[in-house]
Amino acid sequence: MSRVTLALRSPTSRRLLTSLAAMAVVALMTGPSGSATQPMVGPTGSFGEHVSIFGLFPGPRWLLFFLFALVMWGIWTFWLRRGTSLRAAASTLATPPKRAFAHRPVRWVFYVALIGVGVVFPHLVTSQYWQSVMVEQIAVFVLLALGLNVVVGFAGLLDLGFVAFYAIGAYATAWVTGSLPTPAPFGVHLNPFFAIPVAIALVMVAGVLLGTPTLRLRGDYLAIVTLGFGEIITIFANNLYGITGGSYGSGGVTGKHGIPHFSINLGPIHYRWTLNPVPYYYLILVFVVIFIVAFSLLEHSRVGRAWTAIREDEVAAESVGINPLKYKVMAFAIGAASAGFAGVMTAAQSIFIFPATFTLQVSINILALVIFGGMGSIAGVAVGAMVIQTGSMYLLHSPPSGYQPADLYMYLGALLMVTMIFRPMGLIPSRRRRREIVLTEAGEGHMNEVLSGENP
Amino acid sequence: MSEPIFVVDHVTLRFGGVVSLNDVSLRMDRGEILAVIGPNGAGKTSLFNSLTGVYRPQDGSITMTRRDGSTMEVIGKKAHRVSAAGVARTFQASRMFSALTAYENVKIGAESHRGIGVVGAMLRGPLTRRDERQSDDRTVELLRFVGLQDRANTISSSLSYGDRRRLEIARGLATQPQVLLLDEPAAGTNPSEKRELANLIRRVRDEMGVSILLIEHDMKLVMSLAERLYVLNFGSVIAEGTPDEIRANPVVIDAYLGTTSTAEA
Amino acid sequence: MGAFGHFLVSHFATLRLEFWGLLVGGVANGLIYGMVAVGYTLVYGVLRLINFAHSEIVMTGGFTSYFVLRGVIGTSIPNGWATVGILVVGMVAGGVSGAVMAMLVERVAYRPLRRRRAPQLAYLISAIGASYFLFNLAGKEFGRVLLSVPQPYVNHPIFSVFGAPVQLYYLVIVIASAAMLLGADQFVGRTRLGRGLRAVAQDSETASLLGVDVNRTIALTFALGGALGGIGGFLLGLGTGVVYTMGFVPALKAFTAAVLGGIGNLRGAMIGGLLLGVVESLSIAFVQPAYIDVVAFGILVLVLLVRPTGILGERLGRAA
Repeated sequence: MSRVTLALRSPTSRRLLTSLAAMAVVALMTGPSGSATQPMVGPTGSFGEHVSIFGLFPGPRWLLFFLFALVMWGIWTFWLRRGTSLRAAASTLATPPKRAFAHRPVRWVFYVALIGVGVVFPHLVTSQYWQSVMVEQIAVFVLLALGLNVVVGFAGLLDLGFVAFYAIGAYATAWVTGSLPTPAPFGVHLNPFFAIPVAIALVMVAGVLLGTPTLRLRGDYLAIVTLGFGEIITIFANNLYGITGGSYGSGGVTGKHGIPHFSINLGPIHYRWTLNPVPYYYLILVFVVIFIVAFSLLEHSRVGRAWTAIREDEVAAESVGINPLKYKVMAFAIGAASAGFAGVMTAAQSIFIFPATFTLQVSINILALVIFGGMGSIAGVAVGAMVIQTGSMYLLHSPPSGYQPADLYMYLGALLMVTMIFRPMGLIPSRRRRREIVLTEAGEGHMNEVLSGENP
Repeated sequence: MSEPIFVVDHVTLRFGGVVSLNDVSLRMDRGEILAVIGPNGAGKTSLFNSLTGVYRPQDGSITMTRRDGSTMEVIGKKAHRVSAAGVARTFQASRMFSALTAYENVKIGAESHRGIGVVGAMLRGPLTRRDERQSDDRTVELLRFVGLQDRANTISSSLSYGDRRRLEIARGLATQPQVLLLDEPAAGTNPSEKRELANLIRRVRDEMGVSILLIEHDMKLVMSLAERLYVLNFGSVIAEGTPDEIRANPVVIDAYLGTTSTAEA
Repeated sequence: MGAFGHFLVSHFATLRLEFWGLLVGGVANGLIYGMVAVGYTLVYGVLRLINFAHSEIVMTGGFTSYFVLRGVIGTSIPNGWATVGILVVGMVAGGVSGAVMAMLVERVAYRPLRRRRAPQLAYLISAIGASYFLFNLAGKEFGRVLLSVPQPYVNHPIFSVFGAPVQLYYLVIVIASAAMLLGADQFVGRTRLGRGLRAVAQDSETASLLGVDVNRTIALTFALGGALGGIGGFLLGLGTGVVYTMGFVPALKAFTAAVLGGIGNLRGAMIGGLLLGVVESLSIAFVQPAYIDVVAFGILVLVLLVRPTGILGERLGRAA
């Protein structure tokens, strides 16, 4: 018996067991779904079903995933063990070339080219589905990720109720345009353009109101309180039938008219956005660029440095005169602003809004974009948002066998965990964040203390 | 007698049942180099944390006199408010913003008391740019003052121990303080670094007009640097006087021989 | 004033009529919250962080005991000793699976981070990821609908308290959870493993110098908290059925209970659970059912802002 235990404890066999377990989980994740009446269909099907890959490999799934596990074990044992660990390999695999980027002209050419691609892009995508996905699911989520990045990435605060700001932005739009059961302010039904300042002002006030009491709390308590805030907003949106239309959405039971589209009436210029997503795409693109420029200026300003200081060592930051609460509340409000704006865009584009659009799951989705892309890295979260949202929309559009839309959150959850284990700085790391993570792991820095609030 | 900068009046600080400062009274005058010594656990760092608003003592008062002669009660103020009133400090185990460069560390200190101006920061208006330039100038000046001009772009955590101490002093000075609190600045430095540090501290007082309050274990350094000392033991002040008086005080000798090894004394 | 006064009078009238019934339900719920809260408190004690994946341990316990009960209970409803036997089997199934799942979560989502001293933010995110992964995987495998658990008894009233009937289900909850909570308290207080746990909670570095295996102790802590959470899942499932999202709300309330009693404090968690269960239950007289969860959140926010150390203060080794 002891010989068996010893054999199991050897690194080689432990790697084999881990590979087998990991592939078994992947098999379950990608396998068929079970149901209420036949709850065992999922597990049995995941291993028992027959598959063939390009007609080359007919056989049961368990054999396929067993082979995958062997391959994984082989790579791990014979390739990665030689001098490098799995984590280091994952890190080097995704390090973009930096050298050329240090030159200013190269950078500017790159930015201009990027905007050029952004401008011609909708003409390369002809499918109706992908055009509307580009607006509703990609551009809007880039905005949301940029906003959450200010909170999580810059200020180091875990906000799990970020969707609340998105919801407030959307409902504010419906309110201002007179599309909610509750009467519009000022008695006039305004163009959604006027909803932008109102929504942004409202979410920033909400951010300050929520932040001022709660941002004194330790990191993990803050996460739970914001989670609760997100839930409360959803509960209210769902149940206040007279105000929000309840679960029926902005139209409510009274059958209010929908939220109007954007339109411009400036002297001779008249333009009206319609159901066509392309004009919306350009409108959002303009604002995405504005938000990116504003946030990156902010990151490299005194405010951004103060955030870094607080994130790294709150006690030391306070000793040089930085008021942590003030800057944290500021991060909350600024981050909320872009979520509020995203809410306006969603509302103006989708005519009716429903509480089901603003669930906790959306918060987690946004968090996954930020974490995967790289906390604190504007380029990272933008790319992360595009990659993940494109992937999830592809899965929705042409699901592989066994995939259900709700499975997405299983993959996002796994992604969060895997990113934290293997590459905590994300796809395109921010320079400061990468240094922090490396330093903390080497035992330098005070990040742990700060986040857990355990001052000496 | 000159004007006081800190008056600590019967301060008591407790953690649960543990009394960390017991009825401590002391006075610090503007322009002096004052030291607080005592065995480990005597409450020196607790005193510092009370003076800077990190801890909130239960009893007593700590009055700070600003440059314009107005006074402020420190107890109950947040640390950043105390800093804004002109109190800077360093930490026992130096606490840099370790992922930032030496330059950025000092600059954070230099700009912390300016208005927040998010909009200004985003738009980069002329006022913001002027502010930035002033902070930059001050940062460069201070790095030169402490002798770190060549390491400005080094990540602070890769600086040597002695350099980190200097950087912390520069960061504290950047907030334009009237008094600088140094918590064991010489810990972990070698003899030549110690001499340089003593020089630097004297220059801070003489050239910048910043009063110095010092906690230090290295008796040679303390006795050569400080003009007046307080001795703490078990949270209470047991002696006060000039270095010569302290050296001759039997109570002090007793406290030190009774509790700590000679290496520290 | 008039309208509000009327509101109060009518609602207090409801409260008076229903008081004992609500109290019984509240105590039963509160005991379950207390059991789940113990998991939060124990893990907080040794790792100084909130285990965000604890809700999925409750869910795991619920599902495992569901399958076991489905296998054990035939077409006819059991009675007598058979009922007792099935309840014990269900508890064991829930407890064991909860413990195993908690150890798995620790192994996969926490230990790699601990090994490289990751910042606390990383733990939180990793645990949230684990939680989302687990409950959505359960949703995929077992369907995303509520499954009712086969009942091991006929849930009729056993006796009454001041006219309020106490159903068998509540009696089962009270007996089972009181036994488990007492057991956990004794285990942590009396046994050698419990002493190791308290030593790690106080100062893990010193504990490891004194020969306590820190990794093993942490795994044990997760297992103990997981066992109680799993049994909580079984008891919850018995009453309301099992579904992949069943862990979320009870776990959040249990967390509230843990904070209410003083996080890190074992007995505080139990008292906090009882208190929250009762307050929440009595508030049914005043607010619409849809807003019951808002009440729990409100209590959480209030406690965190007013007295973040809870009623009994933070303990489990650490000096108050």
